Amino acid sequence: MTLFRTRKQVLLLVPQIVLLAALYGYPVVRTVVQSFYSVSFGSQQARGVGAANYVGVFRDDAFWAASLSSLYWTAGNLVIQLTVPIFLALLLNEQFKGMNLARATFMLPWVVPTVAFAVCMRWMLLPKIGIVAEALSDTLFFGRQVHLLGSGGFAMPTLILLNSWKFLPFGTLMILAALQTIPREVYEAAMVDGAGAATRFRHITFPLLGSMIWFVGFLAFSWNFNTFDLIWLMTQGGPGTATQTLPVLIYRTAFKTMRLGEASTISVIVAAVLAVIGFAYFLTMKPREGQQR
Amino acid sequence: MTSVVRRRLRAALTVAVLLILIWPLLYILVSSFKPIREIMGRAELFPKNPTLANYGTLLFARTPVRDFPRILLNTLYVSTLSALLSVALSSVSAYAIARTRALKSGITSKLLLFIYVFPTIILLTPMYQLFALIGLWDSYYGLVIVYSGLASPFCTWLLVSFFESIPQELEESAAVDGANAVTRFVRIVLPISMPGVVTVAAYAFISAWGEYMFALVMINSSAKKTAALGLATFTAEQYIEWGPLLAGSILIILPIFALFLPVSRFFIRGFMSGAVKA
Repeated sequence: MTLFRTRKQVLLLVPQIVLLAALYGYPVVRTVVQSFYSVSFGSQQARGVGAANYVGVFRDDAFWAASLSSLYWTAGNLVIQLTVPIFLALLLNEQFKGMNLARATFMLPWVVPTVAFAVCMRWMLLPKIGIVAEALSDTLFFGRQVHLLGSGGFAMPTLILLNSWKFLPFGTLMILAALQTIPREVYEAAMVDGAGAATRFRHITFPLLGSMIWFVGFLAFSWNFNTFDLIWLMTQGGPGTATQTLPVLIYRTAFKTMRLGEASTISVIVAAVLAVIGFAYFLTMKPREGQQR
Repeated sequence: MTSVVRRRLRAALTVAVLLILIWPLLYILVSSFKPIREIMGRAELFPKNPTLANYGTLLFARTPVRDFPRILLNTLYVSTLSALLSVALSSVSAYAIARTRALKSGITSKLLLFIYVFPTIILLTPMYQLFALIGLWDSYYGLVIVYSGLASPFCTWLLVSFFESIPQELEESAAVDGANAVTRFVRIVLPISMPGVVTVAAYAFISAWGEYMFALVMINSSAKKTAALGLATFTAEQYIEWGPLLAGSILIILPIFALFLPVSRFFIRGFMSGAVKA
């Protein structure tokens, strides 16, 4: 009886599994196969080339440059996205009038379509016209005009800041969720013992947040690493190749220079590296404090 | 006394931080009413001669390749269908997972999470080839399938924790009264988990509404472009018309805010309860 019920319930999973197999499974297999072929865009003809694509990619300076850019991009984003949300979550972790409105308002950057944000920021960063460019030139740059998105040195940090702006609500909400699992009594007991705010944060809040920060870090790592839209919309990987991360390189190789085989090869390499990191995360993942199951 | 002062200070700090965070959005809104001379002139905070000209150009100066009302409708259509399909798929699978002991061990939720952080850029090329092959390229329905596939693992993950919190006794007593599985699901499980269902629907809608990368590859005809794609095409032109672009951004942002703000409480609560169980 129980077995029969279980079997019937598993049938309910079929639609989702079929969809996921078609959208994730098939493309992954096809990418792996295609990474050993030379495929030009538009034609269905593929020529087997063995491991030549891999040799080519590993010898390609553009691949290594994009890997470095990806590292820079991901690390820069993580530094911001793992620190600022803690501060924001502590700020929002308090009962006050209008808290729901404050939290909803606070979520807006996450809800804003990337495209709308990206194109408007491009305007705000235009030299002599954009308000952000003007404000920066009047202060940080002592009157010098700087085209942030057009400069090899500034383009990446600018994009990192903009991308993190969009991520902040998500990270904060996760950490806020973890904060709320810490019982109030723990703090009260610490206060009775004379622990100041800083001590309480260091010895109670931070250790208990540890695994959530680790989790947010993993999600942030994956999403940042994979970001394509914001970069493409703002700089298309430029100026030069200053902001050409691996996803941008994959897109450019497949849809601009029409080399699907090489694009698949880069995809496979990226996926392999990410898979290793992902499994390492899942292996080291400990159940969180306050977790019931 | 000091506690009142401290609470006030804290409130002031919260408001200040919030304002800094959403400042770009407020500035875009205000600037969309600036005439072109102010948009292309030295930056000012507020418009000196507010005008609706940008919105007028966007909504009434329509050409076949630049038809903003049309792309808004396209987006609405695609996002609504994606939200419906995502809810249908994920609620059924989440129910199966929540009610099957063998699947509850946490491996399923880890697997779903793993799919959720999957590097979608890798899917782009083969998905394009597949959809071209089966005739779903340059089609709304192709996009709907992609968006549902992208959103439903996360939706399922979130709904499992909602369904698990429903006492099984509730369903058992309904079963005694003769309610079959479908009735129990539709009459008991779904209504009780309404906050979860709303959260999931809003999530799917929002993520489809602003999606750019897949739309860029999957849609070709100007008439089928979604808002994200349409807006980006404006910036690809030789001479960028920043005025209508700002107005267009606002018209894309506002509907999504209007949808999000009423459900945000459910959304935030649903999200946070899912997060601590992950």
